[in-house]
Amino acid sequence: MNALTSRRAALNGVAVAIFAMWAFPFYWMVNSAFKRPEDIQTYVPRFLPWPPTLDNFANAIGQPHFTDFLRNSVFVAATTIALALLIGTLAAVTVARVRFRGRRGFLLLVAIAQMAPFEGLLIPIYLVIRQTPLYNQVPSLIVVYFIFVLPFTIWSLRGFVDGIPIDLEEAAMVDGCSRLGAFRHVILPLLLPGMVATAIFGFITAWNEFLYANAFMTDVQNHTLPVWLSAFRTNFGVDWGGTMAAATLFTLPVLIFFLIVQDRMVGGLTAGAVKG
Amino acid sequence: MVMRTASGDLSSDDVVKRRGAPTPLATVASVGRRVAPYLAILPTMATFLVLLGYPVALVVVLSFQKYNLAELFGRAPSWIGLDNYREIFGNPQVLTIVLRTFLFTIANVALTLVVGTLIGLLLSRLGRWIRMLVSIALILAWAVPVVTGSVVFQWLFDSKFGVVNWALNSIRVFGDFTNHSWFDTGLTTFVVITMMMLWQTVPFVAFSVFAGLGSIPKEQFEAARVDGADERQMFRLITFPSLAPILLILTFLSTIWDFKVFTQIWTMRQGGPNNETETLSIYAYQVGVAGNRFGLAAAVSCVMVALLLIVLVPYIRRMIRTQE
Repeated sequence: MNALTSRRAALNGVAVAIFAMWAFPFYWMVNSAFKRPEDIQTYVPRFLPWPPTLDNFANAIGQPHFTDFLRNSVFVAATTIALALLIGTLAAVTVARVRFRGRRGFLLLVAIAQMAPFEGLLIPIYLVIRQTPLYNQVPSLIVVYFIFVLPFTIWSLRGFVDGIPIDLEEAAMVDGCSRLGAFRHVILPLLLPGMVATAIFGFITAWNEFLYANAFMTDVQNHTLPVWLSAFRTNFGVDWGGTMAAATLFTLPVLIFFLIVQDRMVGGLTAGAVKG
Repeated sequence: MVMRTASGDLSSDDVVKRRGAPTPLATVASVGRRVAPYLAILPTMATFLVLLGYPVALVVVLSFQKYNLAELFGRAPSWIGLDNYREIFGNPQVLTIVLRTFLFTIANVALTLVVGTLIGLLLSRLGRWIRMLVSIALILAWAVPVVTGSVVFQWLFDSKFGVVNWALNSIRVFGDFTNHSWFDTGLTTFVVITMMMLWQTVPFVAFSVFAGLGSIPKEQFEAARVDGADERQMFRLITFPSLAPILLILTFLSTIWDFKVFTQIWTMRQGGPNNETETLSIYAYQVGVAGNRFGLAAAVSCVMVALLLIVLVPYIRRMIRTQE
């Protein structure tokens, strides 16, 4: 009995240590973002931002082109997921509901496309885009991110469609619904949560992407938020408060979206491995 | 014409009409029904072919060409056979980079897997509330964008006001860290990069292992306990074999991610100091985007993918075997 409680205590002790280690960088970011400059540049760190200030956030938002960066990031991410959902839903529903010749081959292609090493395609995609009017324009990133997220979108949506009982559609069609009608009135409402979850993954991918955004855009006003944040040394100098406020602002939307879909993250990525 | 019948098939036909006598219209509709799935996947296929297939083909072609700044502005690229590859493998500096990339990958994959598995096992042994507490911290770290992670860790490890140097100074075990600069040498820069990557990648491994543990039937442990097995035996004979497939796929994914990693290293010190944290992906970027030697950069990309495939062959084979 005594050994059991002491073991429990030891485990809890380790758990608290792990909690502290993993929460600390995040806590330190938010903490620093709310500190006054004189509370940041201290040799003995202050563990609470007291008195708190919003000046750092004002500094970050007030930086030249901040609204451009924000607009670019939102525009690119939103358009990417809209495109991917439109084209991906079409393919996903077809693959899930229609048995056609070449279906397996198509699924294999989607799986392969999902594993494409996009880091290695930077140079050819760059050279192709250079020859188009999209060169050095923000929409060129939409093209790139769209192809990043499309395979995953199809794969994920197909799983959600598979989860909707086919009897429901058949019943609707017997009751006089056309195939498209059955899709609109039966599948679509049930698929909506799956579409939201899938869109969130796409959004996070596009919002966070750095390599292509950094390499493709030469004009400052075309940068996205991660490119701006990565250049904090140029933009903020040693203003760590401003840097952490910028990091917090950039992270907030991702965090909110991530929390919505977090329970789907693990299963989605290793699906099939457990069943073995 | 085909398009219109196909969409007509999707939208207006109802079941009754379809079952009617074969009229010419019905024949058109049946053709439409057969064509419809292909029309539905056409945009995806076109995307794969044009936006993915073409660049993949182009990167291979480029790797055999001289394609520099002049070619970018109109000069026809010339075929130079294996010269780009010869330049890569004939360069001792590149061999150092390859070696460094492998060491970095091995260290990161091993650490991620070990720490992640241990935390996953820990999660399964915790009470509900404290498990939730740890999970929240893990999810936070996981959700944070890579660039944010990089910026925050540079602040944590700042030489003057960084909290890490202060903490190390306070415990007085490792000596004096006043104004210690972590980014002066490649090795300590890698330490910071690896810590940041562990912070962000361990949660996924931990949660996957935890989920895998949950799928092991409890009866197995009970039966083993009845048979007199101790904890260690149960781990070796039940837990570990059940986790093996999941650990395999996690190793596979981690190897792919860590081998190609770019943003984490680039945003930290752009491969510095003195190119001492330059891995293959950084090298490809510097040669191509910064150096305008697109053919050579394409060859580096091809070498990277080839090396990755070679490394992953045993995993892929074992995964196929477990699938069967």
